[in-house]
Amino acid sequence: MTAALTGDPAVAPAAPPPTALRRALPLLAAPVAFFVAFFAVPMVVVLSSSLMAGGAPSLANYARVLLDQYHWDVLAVTFRIAALTTLAVTLLGYPLAYYLVRVVSSNALRRSCVILLLLPLFTSNIVRSFGWMILLGRNGLVNDTLVGVGLLERPVRFLGTETGIVIGLVYILLPFIVLAVGNALATVDPTLEEASADLGSSPFTTFWTVTFPLCLPGLIAGVIMVFTLAASAYVTPALLSGGKITVFPMLIFQQYSTVFDVHYGGALSITLLVFTLVLVALAGRIGNGGGNRS
Amino acid sequence: MLPALLSIRDLGKRFGGFHALKGVSLEVEHGEFIALLGPSGCGKTTLLRCIAGFLTPDSGDIRIGGDSVTRLPPHRRPLNTVFQNYALFPHMSVLDNIAYGPRRHGVPRGEAAERAAQALHLVGLEALGARYPRELSGGQQQRVALARAVVNRPKLLLLDEPLSALDMKLRKRMQIELKHLQEKLGIAFVFVTHDQEEAMSMADRIVVMNRGLIEQVGSGTAVYATPATRFVAEFIGEANLLPGAADGDGGLRLAFGTAAVPHPCPHPGPWPDIDAGQSRTGVLRPEHLELLDRADEPGFLTERGIVEDVINTGGQTLVMVRVGDALLASRRLGMPGAGLGRGTQVVVGFRPEHLHVVVGEPAP
Repeated sequence: MTAALTGDPAVAPAAPPPTALRRALPLLAAPVAFFVAFFAVPMVVVLSSSLMAGGAPSLANYARVLLDQYHWDVLAVTFRIAALTTLAVTLLGYPLAYYLVRVVSSNALRRSCVILLLLPLFTSNIVRSFGWMILLGRNGLVNDTLVGVGLLERPVRFLGTETGIVIGLVYILLPFIVLAVGNALATVDPTLEEASADLGSSPFTTFWTVTFPLCLPGLIAGVIMVFTLAASAYVTPALLSGGKITVFPMLIFQQYSTVFDVHYGGALSITLLVFTLVLVALAGRIGNGGGNRS
Repeated sequence: MLPALLSIRDLGKRFGGFHALKGVSLEVEHGEFIALLGPSGCGKTTLLRCIAGFLTPDSGDIRIGGDSVTRLPPHRRPLNTVFQNYALFPHMSVLDNIAYGPRRHGVPRGEAAERAAQALHLVGLEALGARYPRELSGGQQQRVALARAVVNRPKLLLLDEPLSALDMKLRKRMQIELKHLQEKLGIAFVFVTHDQEEAMSMADRIVVMNRGLIEQVGSGTAVYATPATRFVAEFIGEANLLPGAADGDGGLRLAFGTAAVPHPCPHPGPWPDIDAGQSRTGVLRPEHLELLDRADEPGFLTERGIVEDVINTGGQTLVMVRVGDALLASRRLGMPGAGLGRGTQVVVGFRPEHLHVVVGEPAP
């Protein structure tokens, strides 16, 4: 055992006896089978069908996607909405998480707030997005209120605008960032903030030099989650677009559900996936720029 | 005359129904090493946190160099703290951790790094500046925490059980190092500990606390030899507690032997005024209870007893003797003599001047 740990090849232990191996295999098999069945296989199916055109292997589907300016435009809209959503969710969610973890001192109140935050997740996306359709309508509650208090002279159009979609997505994705940041904040030892104050930092400086860097990994995880969910969202944009705005997942849905072209639809899916991964990787890079972190 | 470095007056603090501090007053002079000693829950950490500013007292006043800091937030107080868990910033290198304080006080980056390197040298870790706290051992983290505090050149350093996480050997070594560092830098230390040996071996003065009150302030020798209260007598070192009562002639009748202890006692220290019938407790350290050859040994109060246990702890022998209802401890240097074992009939005795008397009865 110790030899294996120190990595000394001269006294490397023999392979485990076959009985142990036989006993261990079923234990390993279950999770591996799970990942293969639910993650690897679907991806391989989509990828392989996207690489087929007219019954033969071909890159024609990708050419069709990438050589059409329309797809680039839709991609830009999709990522712009995702980015704006992520920004808004972060600006709203971070203070909310901070409030819940650091300001609320009663456990009961904190628990109720978290339940309130999570409750909408138990209802359907469609119901919630439909609710926003009504709220954001020309004579909906939002317009009525804004006009009523005199902030607007006449109703503004939300439905069919990117703003409307962002509002709907922010509402749906807010819990994710609050939970990610909240968990990270809860693991920051308050003594570190006391130490910072003791060494002469104002609460503001303490936040930016100690608290924020220490929960940055949680924030990045939340941002990545929200961004990918926003970029791949279908229901909310579809309901709030009023037919005037198209995002990439809507194109994919059309191909699979209306046109039944799984090859072209597959290529669209893979394209969205690749671009999202590239952006996420870039974000991760920036996040890790701070250097050596635990 | 210069005001005391730290002056605490009538400090009170409640947590809900729990009275953590019930009017604590204390003065600390420049360069002094003070140990706050007491069992857990006695208020010593609450007191330290009030001084540092992490807690706001409900009543009373804290002054540093004559200026009240009671209402100042922690970052405006001219002192530094070494935390029990060290509280090193995990996302900063050792050097950045130490330079953090000077940077916050407007020292330019280069000079701050230089001062951090000096402080690191002071604690003997000059080679580890580029490491991260998680790459250090407990003892090394302890030193970094110390360097991070003293680099700010405070006049007052608060230490919250800084050695409690270290193993016994390292702990002993750090006690000596800390004491040397404190003398070298001339910084006043207020050191919280629940370890009386630690307090006795390091501190100039020990503040013994119990249930939110200060029971006694004095040198290690003073709190050991002349405990002010029964709690101090029991908490500091081992003690034989002999119940007694005033006999009305200024003497003290003990439940030990037949003689009254003369009053006033030749032993120095506080000797509470004795009114007839009032209960008192005689405190007798085990090294002052001797095994004697005869019951009429001159100068001794004696009593017959039966040995219950003989415990040899290396250089010392502890003999537990049952006298009536009480089990008394007698300690002496060297090995137990032959023929001394369980059931041996012996005569125990002490010189009255070694008896110290406190108010109240011993706890049952």
